[in-house]
Amino acid sequence: MRYIFRCTILTVIVSLGASVPSQGQTVPNDDPDLALQLAQPDFTLVALPTTLRVPRHKGAFRVTHRFTRELGNGDFGDLASDLFGLDNGAQIGLEYRFGLFSGTQIGFHRTSDRTTEFFAQHEVKAQSESFPFTISAYASIDGTNNFRDSYSPALGAVVSRTIAEHVAFYLEPIWVNNSNTLPSALVDNNDAMLLGLGTRLRVRPTVYIVIEGTPRIAGDKPNVTQIGVGLEKRAGGHTFQLNFSNGFGTTLGQVARGGTGRSDWYMGFNISRKFF
Amino acid sequence: MTRRILLACLLSVAAVGCDEKLSSVTGPTPQLEPTFTSIQRDIFGARDLAGRQACTDCHSDVGRNPSGGLVLLGGRAHAALVNQVSTGKPGAIRVIPGDPDNSYIIRKLEGAPDIVGVRMPRGNGPFLTDGQILVIRRWIQLGAPNN
Repeated sequence: MRYIFRCTILTVIVSLGASVPSQGQTVPNDDPDLALQLAQPDFTLVALPTTLRVPRHKGAFRVTHRFTRELGNGDFGDLASDLFGLDNGAQIGLEYRFGLFSGTQIGFHRTSDRTTEFFAQHEVKAQSESFPFTISAYASIDGTNNFRDSYSPALGAVVSRTIAEHVAFYLEPIWVNNSNTLPSALVDNNDAMLLGLGTRLRVRPTVYIVIEGTPRIAGDKPNVTQIGVGLEKRAGGHTFQLNFSNGFGTTLGQVARGGTGRSDWYMGFNISRKFF
Repeated sequence: MTRRILLACLLSVAAVGCDEKLSSVTGPTPQLEPTFTSIQRDIFGARDLAGRQACTDCHSDVGRNPSGGLVLLGGRAHAALVNQVSTGKPGAIRVIPGDPDNSYIIRKLEGAPDIVGVRMPRGNGPFLTDGQILVIRRWIQLGAPNN
């Protein structure tokens, strides 16, 4: 597995090196990927990816925060006294993604439980007048203990459909290998087939409601389906999202392991920044 | 072309099947597997690296009366366990194929509150680790075959 890790790092480094424009080579300013997509302003929903493209040689940063206090624990006074969970610990994620080519992006996401995820996404087919969906191929691998212990590769597709400038729908069939962190000799299923479902609704010119759920339709199904809802505000190159979810998962391996409980809800937020 | 090669590299990395090593959970019995042969060899019949005593130190009829009337010597243990009633707790079945939670051997090894007598192995430990018990649970879950 260390070999795979080194290969991944090498591939990313070589890719990054190769992607720096050489002298005299310029990135066109008329790249349509630089334009704001009103129905799909960000690269993720709550935890699931969208089909938004990163412009070539541009990047974006995201921080995810999931407060670990159950919102249903205690009465409203208890909750308010903890500032709705802000006084408690949180699982934090840091992410950076880079547009390697037109339509191809790579990135990494590291959460404070020491899970590190590397991912790549490539747009296969774009929505147009003659084709109703955008389809992206998605691949990732996450590893626990700073990418040293349990590895969970994932392969899948992100399918989106935007309607005018107001709404986007998502369907994301994704296979996650080794989603169960126990040896396969001790479990019935070592893989999970996810079917991510989501939508982003633009309710005001810069305000969105985001909903997603990730049922496991086959394979390993521990815990409960992770669900997340968010209220989002776009401000220039930033997107601020206040969200509520029943789990802390932000990598696909974590999402495949499910939410913590049907009635356990947690507050959190995502902040993303586009560097273009 | 370069783009496709790089994408193929990343997809290949992600497509590699991964798994954990069984020894990562079995601790002081690194060779332990969820088969009866392995459980007999590594749990019942031998001390482990943590110093846990062998079950057959007491559950033997060689030169002594077997504790609890249970003999865990090789060749006899499977018949003494699977679908057999415990002599210590009336009504309890030592191993119920497919049902580790209600198999009395698991409750004795985990020290469940409803057991009669003490947690096994007798004494103040070391007891079986969670990983070792997980392997025995898995063998029962798979039907407790004599494999």
